Amino acid sequence: MIEAIHINKYFGGNHVLKNISCLFEKGRTNLIIGQSGSGKTVLMKCLVGLYEVDSGKVLYNDRNFSAMKTEQRKMIRQEIGMLFQQGALFDMMNVEENVMFPLSMFTNKSIEENKDRANLVLKRVNLENANDLMPSELSGGMRKRVAIARAIAMNPQYLFCDEPNSGLDPQTAGVIDHLIQEITLEYDITTIVNTHDMNSVLSIGDQVNFIYKGELWWQGTKDEILETTNPELNEFVFGTELTSRLKKSIS
Amino acid sequence: MYKFLHTVGDYVLLMSRVFTRPQKGKIFWTHLFNELQSLGVESLGIVAIISTFMGAVVAIQTAFNIDSPLIPLSMVGYTTAQSVILEFSPTVISLILAGKVGSRIASEIGTMRVTEQIDALEIMGVNSANYLIFPKVVACLLINPVLIVFSMWLGVLGGWIAMEASSLVTTTDYLYGIRYDFRPYTVFYALIKTVFFAYIIASVAGFYGYFTDGGALEVGQASTKAVVSSSILIILVNLILTQILLT
Repeated sequence: MIEAIHINKYFGGNHVLKNISCLFEKGRTNLIIGQSGSGKTVLMKCLVGLYEVDSGKVLYNDRNFSAMKTEQRKMIRQEIGMLFQQGALFDMMNVEENVMFPLSMFTNKSIEENKDRANLVLKRVNLENANDLMPSELSGGMRKRVAIARAIAMNPQYLFCDEPNSGLDPQTAGVIDHLIQEITLEYDITTIVNTHDMNSVLSIGDQVNFIYKGELWWQGTKDEILETTNPELNEFVFGTELTSRLKKSIS
Repeated sequence: MYKFLHTVGDYVLLMSRVFTRPQKGKIFWTHLFNELQSLGVESLGIVAIISTFMGAVVAIQTAFNIDSPLIPLSMVGYTTAQSVILEFSPTVISLILAGKVGSRIASEIGTMRVTEQIDALEIMGVNSANYLIFPKVVACLLINPVLIVFSMWLGVLGGWIAMEASSLVTTTDYLYGIRYDFRPYTVFYALIKTVFFAYIIASVAGFYGYFTDGGALEVGQASTKAVVSSSILIILVNLILTQILLT
């Protein structure tokens, strides 16, 4: 469980996150949604400590992450897996080396044991026989799956996904979404997904947090979001031609 | 002035993160050997070509300028050796390496920054500054003196080849000139300079690469800044070290 309590973040004079408090529960896929520039990526970076919060705190299972020193944070970070927007795979390493990297860095297991673990998680994301491929040889969906495999290699307790579907076709995006949800349930971890893809929201949004102009504007589930009367959220959800037509046909 | 001080402060803070004990020794050594290969061995070609031609040109120019019968022709060998050892190899080759190696380091680390690979390292709990920059600094400190000694040897050899080909100076005169009043301290002085220059090349390029912000355009800009800044620093440090070590 991760808890954000009264988080504020400024960039110069720009107040980007305004007093945000929310709870991300274990075993659920928690979504942060909002328009581009609303502050959702900043919120995620504050949660993982890539940005320091200016006030407020972030708790990982009641451990105050914001107040921790670098060495203490390193321990927490080994419990975190993160999937970046473009995968962030290490260019000079092949698929297997990418997945083995955190294992080689933080465990004292033999190379064979690490390889076995890498093969296991690669199999879990349906990427067998891709061990020797370099990141430049992978498709967008494969890159995301390798990044997921690397993120879960260390058996994390927390999984962060920053716009996991960006640049993917709807079918591949669906595969990635379901993979994230299955892993969340299988490993019983706290998953936070940053997205503005409504397909993701409606398929995996166990808990949805809508950020609007730096404020937590609305919270609910994927079912509640369709019935909301919140005008800003309605504008966001039904802002596209497809979703507005769907809404008309439903109503 | 504020911006300059801010940059210096960022550099010092970054170096304090770079010069820490590597988290995993085995990974550090693997990384170091890869860097020795990519930053050192892969620079041998350009160092060889530039050094040989540089030595040849210095020898021809010296021979061309000696028109007094009172000056022995062995002075061509002496001047070539002194010029190559004292200045051309340590400074000019370091400036060339600042371009080749510095831009490579800055663009490699800069690309890792803009593609979130550095963020990925940080999230895992890896000290990214140490992991990425420290092996490159150590590799440059180890391999650059080797490259410079190689360059000195080829520079002198290039001078000899030019003299042989042009018949301006005999081999006997040229070799006598090289050995005339040879002081091993000059090689020591050149290597001391090289070590300082190697540190500048790797750390400044690492700094600009690490703090790249933006996209492909900014990676290019970081690379250019790294080369320009390290070249200026090399020239400045060259003057200071020469003042200290040769006076």
